[in-house]
Amino acid sequence: MAGEVGPPSRDKERDGPVVPLRNPGDAMSVETEQSIATMRMPAGLGGLLPALTLIGLFFVVPVLALLLRSVTDPAPGLQNYAALLGDGTYARVFFNTFLVAAVVTIVTVLVAFPVAWMLAIMPPSLASVMFGIIILSMWTNLLTRTYAWMVLLQRTGVINRALMATGIIDQPLPLINNLTGVTIGMVYIMLPFMILPLVGTLRAIDPMTLRAAALCGASPFQAFRRILLPLSLPGIAAGGLMVFVMSLGYFVTPALLGGTSNMMLAEMIAQLIQSLLNWGLGSAAAFILLIATMALYALQLRLVGARRATGGI
Amino acid sequence: MTQPFLSIRKLRKAFGAFTAVHDVTLDIPKGEFLTFLGPSGSGKSTTLYAIAGFQDPSSGDVLLQGKSLLAVPSHKRNIGMVFQRYTLFPHLSVAENVAFPLRVRRRPDAEVKKKVTDMLALVRLESFAERLPGALSGGQQQRVALARALAYDPPILLMDEPLSALDKKLREEIQAEIRRIHRETGVTILYVTHDQEEALHLSDRIALFKDGRIEQTGTGEDLYLRPATDFVAGFIGNSNFLAAEHLETVGGAATIRLADGSLVSGISANGSFERGQKTRLMIRPEAFRLERNPASAELTVDVVDIAFYGERRRIVARTTTGQEIDIRPTSAAMAAHDATPSRRQVFFDPGAAFLFPVESNSRKGA
Repeated sequence: MAGEVGPPSRDKERDGPVVPLRNPGDAMSVETEQSIATMRMPAGLGGLLPALTLIGLFFVVPVLALLLRSVTDPAPGLQNYAALLGDGTYARVFFNTFLVAAVVTIVTVLVAFPVAWMLAIMPPSLASVMFGIIILSMWTNLLTRTYAWMVLLQRTGVINRALMATGIIDQPLPLINNLTGVTIGMVYIMLPFMILPLVGTLRAIDPMTLRAAALCGASPFQAFRRILLPLSLPGIAAGGLMVFVMSLGYFVTPALLGGTSNMMLAEMIAQLIQSLLNWGLGSAAAFILLIATMALYALQLRLVGARRATGGI
Repeated sequence: MTQPFLSIRKLRKAFGAFTAVHDVTLDIPKGEFLTFLGPSGSGKSTTLYAIAGFQDPSSGDVLLQGKSLLAVPSHKRNIGMVFQRYTLFPHLSVAENVAFPLRVRRRPDAEVKKKVTDMLALVRLESFAERLPGALSGGQQQRVALARALAYDPPILLMDEPLSALDKKLREEIQAEIRRIHRETGVTILYVTHDQEEALHLSDRIALFKDGRIEQTGTGEDLYLRPATDFVAGFIGNSNFLAAEHLETVGGAATIRLADGSLVSGISANGSFERGQKTRLMIRPEAFRLERNPASAELTVDVVDIAFYGERRRIVARTTTGQEIDIRPTSAAMAAHDATPSRRQVFFDPGAAFLFPVESNSRKGA
């Protein structure tokens, strides 16, 4: 929400290192100030050097090494990519990965929205307790939480036995080793990443605006669809992107709760490298995942604008 | 008997042990501009919110043309409202904000377009139709809010301190605008404010709230010239209160003894008093005269300070018993007089002075 109605000059506050160069007496219009700030960027690079070195050393170099490996191992050429993109089995894994990530993102948004709305409107003291609980779940070991879901979801697990005891079902529901299991387990893990940016966006919405909408004649549903939802889109976009991207590369939960028939990309990469020792194919798969992720991010930037994509953070 | 347009019947609202509104009863005729005036926490906003449907009253009723509104949810009450804070929808243009109530009512496009044009013309913001609310000043935003609230021709318009966030000059400008719009549309307006000047400028009638009750309802003139209680006298306009002992009342005219021992008769008495009862005499600063006339009562004061206030002067003086009083003669009347601090006589018409019991009701929060 911050991005939408705020004055257009906010961005320049972030150009920290550039500021000392500015002539203090200058009274410039916003536009000139911004274009000059952009022009001055190279001059500010010196201050950014340590950060750039760090990013270069630990992010850019490994990615380049990965790229190099994918086109040289076992022989120079694009045969690894051809194999991945041309083969039906691999294509299914790609499709499945995007499907799971999309389903997880949608379900996460649906579950997170009411929770975030409650957190946004409840008294701050109570909300901070709730935040504590949510954050605590993030700090609990991922593997423990996933095993806990296995206990809950399996054929003879708590959920199935409870449902059968109450007579709602006769046969245990297939809740694990399939897409359902993966979705449940991953939504649970992704929720905080959706809730936190969403609460920030929702808190910035004045509740009086919704009262005004009601008096204007908007039913609760109309107020939600025409006012609350559009105003919370930046938060949904920010959280959604994060959840989707994290889901694309997720390993533990799909490996434990998913079935063999719906393997995801991270599992496949692990298999290619660990079991088959096929570093070239694994690197190519990882690189395709990276490109897909970056393409999505670029698409979102185009669609909703940079500040909305990051939730104005 | 004709049915009142809007009727508030014994409205009561309690928050736990605290009662914010006590049995407020009020009838409002169609087309009236009525202001709820009072200090903060006096229950005026709570009453307004009960009419809007944001708060369920503990008991009592609100009737519009004889039908109870209480069971009707806010969005079906068809009431217009302008809020204290800017509540325009930040993602919609000015035109779409004004169109919003019509769109949720699924009115045809052509009608919506025409109405939006009319409304923006009414608040004189035609050229701002495509702007986002964030690009408007506070005053412009409130005018758009007014246009949005009137777009669906609501029978009642509620305004909850709509000008309190604006500076003085802008406030006066929009007050004039609100008066004009009230004249042109004939809509019934319930207006909440804590600013007595705003209430006096705008309203046909004022209901003065205190501690969850209506202290007095009447025109601005009624409240100013004929205050029912010392709270009303103290809240509306400036006033001096002098300690006095009541001696007797004959036919509504009281005789009292002031603290300096002087006797004054012919005072307007509010209610009945006993002989020897401690009372307070209220005299408006501008009711004091510097010239004696046959009917006037007199008071001996020491002038402490004289300040020039344009059309009036302000004299700060002290009675012989040490009580400070405020006197506002016109500058013209003052011209003939010695402007230096000294002991002198000031005069007042006993009919323009009012007698109130001491602690008839406490004045906390005033």
